[in-house]
Amino acid sequence: MSKTKFWSAEHPRIKELVFVLKKMKSSPLSIIGLTIVVLFTLLAILAPVLAPSETGRDPYMMPRTGYSPTPQPPSPENLFGTTEGQYDLYYGVIWGTRAAYRIGVLVVAVSALIGIVVGGLAGYYKGVVDEVLMRLTDIILAFPALILAMAFVVAFGRGLDSITLALILVWWPSYARLIRGEFLRVTSEDFVEAAKAVGCSDFRIMVRHVLPNTIFPLIIMASLDIGSVVLTAAALSFLGLGAPSGYSDWGQIISLSRNWITGAPGNPFAYWHTYIIPGIFLFLFIIGWNLLGDALRDILDPMIRRR
Amino acid sequence: MGSSLKIYLTRRLLLVIPTVLGVILLIFAVTQLFTPVQRASLYIRDIKQVKSIDEIIAKYGLDKPAYMQFFTWLSQVVQGNLGWSQSIHMSVLDALMTRFPATAELALYAAPLTILLGIYLGKISAVKKDTAIDHFTRALSVIGWSLPSFWLGIVLLAFFYGGFGLFSPGRLSPWAEALVRTGEFKIYTGLYTVDAILNLNFAVLLDALYHLVLPVATLTIINVALIMRVMRSSMLEQIGKTYVVAARARGLDEKTVIDKHVTKNALISVVTLSGLLTAGMLSGMVITETIFEFKGIGYFAARAATQLDIPAVLGFALLTGFIFIIANLIVDLLYAYIDPRIRLG
Amino acid sequence: MQAKALAENEQLKVEDLVVRFYTYEGIVKAVEKANLNLRKGETLGVVGETGSGKSVTALTIMALTPTPGKVEGGHIYFRRSTGEIVDVLTLKEEGLLKIRGKEISMIFQEPNAALDPLYTVGDQIAEAILTHRLPEMLEKVGRLEGEETNGLWAFLEKLPFFKGSIKKRLLNKVVRQEIVELLKLMEIPDPERVVDAYPHELSGGMQQRIVIAIALACSPTLLLADEPTTNLDVTVQAQILDLIMRLKRKFGTSVIYITHDMGVIAEISDRVAVMYAGRVVEVAPTMEIFKNPLHPYTKALLESIPRPGSAFKAIPGTVPNLVNPPSGCRFHPRCSYAMKRCSRETPELKEISKEHLVACFLHGGA
Repeated sequence: MSKTKFWSAEHPRIKELVFVLKKMKSSPLSIIGLTIVVLFTLLAILAPVLAPSETGRDPYMMPRTGYSPTPQPPSPENLFGTTEGQYDLYYGVIWGTRAAYRIGVLVVAVSALIGIVVGGLAGYYKGVVDEVLMRLTDIILAFPALILAMAFVVAFGRGLDSITLALILVWWPSYARLIRGEFLRVTSEDFVEAAKAVGCSDFRIMVRHVLPNTIFPLIIMASLDIGSVVLTAAALSFLGLGAPSGYSDWGQIISLSRNWITGAPGNPFAYWHTYIIPGIFLFLFIIGWNLLGDALRDILDPMIRRR
Repeated sequence: MGSSLKIYLTRRLLLVIPTVLGVILLIFAVTQLFTPVQRASLYIRDIKQVKSIDEIIAKYGLDKPAYMQFFTWLSQVVQGNLGWSQSIHMSVLDALMTRFPATAELALYAAPLTILLGIYLGKISAVKKDTAIDHFTRALSVIGWSLPSFWLGIVLLAFFYGGFGLFSPGRLSPWAEALVRTGEFKIYTGLYTVDAILNLNFAVLLDALYHLVLPVATLTIINVALIMRVMRSSMLEQIGKTYVVAARARGLDEKTVIDKHVTKNALISVVTLSGLLTAGMLSGMVITETIFEFKGIGYFAARAATQLDIPAVLGFALLTGFIFIIANLIVDLLYAYIDPRIRLG
Repeated sequence: MQAKALAENEQLKVEDLVVRFYTYEGIVKAVEKANLNLRKGETLGVVGETGSGKSVTALTIMALTPTPGKVEGGHIYFRRSTGEIVDVLTLKEEGLLKIRGKEISMIFQEPNAALDPLYTVGDQIAEAILTHRLPEMLEKVGRLEGEETNGLWAFLEKLPFFKGSIKKRLLNKVVRQEIVELLKLMEIPDPERVVDAYPHELSGGMQQRIVIAIALACSPTLLLADEPTTNLDVTVQAQILDLIMRLKRKFGTSVIYITHDMGVIAEISDRVAVMYAGRVVEVAPTMEIFKNPLHPYTKALLESIPRPGSAFKAIPGTVPNLVNPPSGCRFHPRCSYAMKRCSRETPELKEISKEHLVACFLHGGA
């Protein structure tokens, strides 16, 4: 087998990447998804530039321009206005992008890692190990994510670290199942028998043959999951179980708007900016990743089948 | 009854036991994350016992090894003792029982609406694939699915209630609340709409329905997407099958082919999802209930969680697990009923 | 008009049919100017490898070209039982519904897949009967109604509410009887029980008999058989084949029998059409094709039939890519007799000797 340089145009992975990008062009929804995701990624990276923080402070805490509870409408000082407690919304939603990525990527990455290990073990050893591990994933998956996460949070205490840990515990089973399924599928194929016959060690087979084949389904699942994870994290923060008050977390910011949805006397929508603005950011983030994940699935699924 | 059906049913029912045990085990594992003092609250039945925590710890062996504790706790759970909730000063079991009807009422309206609407939209989306209708419904479904439920709820409340004073939060208006509290209004089920009919009190019925509009709308908008997608892909999968070509080859018109053959086969896949969805709704829509101040088990659990009321949250999680197990069982039984391949083996 | 399109004894004529599939990978030119004709009462065997376009052609004869296929040219002339000659490809849904299942029927390769698993086989046969033979069935009901002597029913029938349900009950009875007769004709044992069976409860052979029953329920003039025995056990194959032929003789149906099995062709066809990569390359009476195959592909096909004692001879090369088919004669890359001309021009189907047509430059076909 010839060793083609990874970055040359001939390498199969690069060819596939190009193919995927080309396919994406054809569907308007996937272009929208990709665009949104790219924009948010840029936003997260450029957060310190767009909304500089004071040195010495935790950059994720929103700056306050006062202490009065009543939110103030957008002004030159506060581009998006302020929410309850005079927290600057502009700062909050921009750093909220970073916070969202932080928790989303962390949870998905760690869950995937745990899932690979557990799923790999289950698929490799089969038998009792497989049964036990699969029953465990079944039980965890029997619970709605939010509820199980709540149970864990009550044990760990409130805070972002708690919910991150809780979400990881809730999310890893679906990756374990995926990897195990792929593992079983691949090891049943002939080329693994051939590799074994040639004398490849089992570990080598796993790493060099099985794992690369599981990348596509993993990518699809991860991209679809980021939206869900961020949504659940926002929900937990909204309920007051996650980010502390004043933190740049979209869910937390929206919870600050709860007292103001009825507006002011004579102007029912006086405080629209407190819930519309952070909500739009959250919504667009989720929908962007969902569209991207959908598009990837539509494109990669037939490729997986064809393999 | 075919013998393979018997085997299937028996196997399915037996499978419930290890699953239930598994759920209990998982929740137990969570309890082990707490200190013995915190765990003591799981064993308390009424407020008087709070004073004697040390006695409780000794009595139930809360400082003993985990496996011993498991059996003590298991026996408590089986007896219905889920502990004491200090956030609302009631035994957890009582709290869940009294609040469950509100959640059930919400699910009673939201689930069928979501399922039926989802099936309908999925069907036309599949039949009119790649047309404007298809793209439109699919776009709506992605939007619905991506909407954070708490945000949608807030926006709807802000617009209708904040803007026009319509659809106030809560289950009933103050006057209806007052009426229900009196002895005149007999509570049969705890579901206000049902009880109102049984009491022949249509004013309360209308009021209860009025308060259901926004929460049901929120739940439906978000969840219809799920059913719709599955129905759509299920139908598309069936449409390509040979028996559909064969049906057309018999001279059946397209409408009959779709309605009689494709839809029925496609619905099989939707059954599981519908079951899970209903279970999800019965498990308390934590967010929706909180936003609309609908005092169901989800609302209770959310408040309990913020106050770190351990028994309440764990009891709630346990109940949820059981609801899902039962729902899965019902779904599997339904399968045996509707699919002759399983029924007759 | 189209009265002249078919000769006196012709039942069906496929003329220059073009079918293309628009897929992600490109445009698949599945059928490229195929020509077939079928005489009344004859069995035409259509032979070809996978990808030859034979199934697509058959489905297109009933205007059931699978998506994403599109018919892009040609005519399919069919003589209806009324004598009228129509071009199937120009008919609208209304007209097609009258023909499908009634005048042209189809039996499929996988009988298990051709039956809806959620309905009894009786239900599915009843569909065919009720769609096309309803007046006949209602007439029988009318006769039965007169005979109903049971006092209670006779009384209830006067009431408007029950009138409909009595008719329904009788209709079910009549149709069920018809189905049982049909199943007996299919040589299905214990027909009364089978009527209420679900497809998965029956064996492959039985399922295929049901499919045939559905196809013949309305005595069609043309039966399209798409490899009906390929997926069955060998012993069952012979039975089903036999059944089809006997029923064909009984009803006087014309049959287009698609298969890749030359043995079956030899046994049942009157004439044979050989298809390759979407084109018909040779047509001749069965004896003639076996004795004197003219097209190189036909020759290769016959030679590749394994015979005890002789070496295994496969046809060199692979089935052509239909998105980018070979230029000119599509067989030329695999043909041992290929000339320069073959890659540049496409040979037309020409009558070389009596009843024997070939599309090859070796034999004229200019």
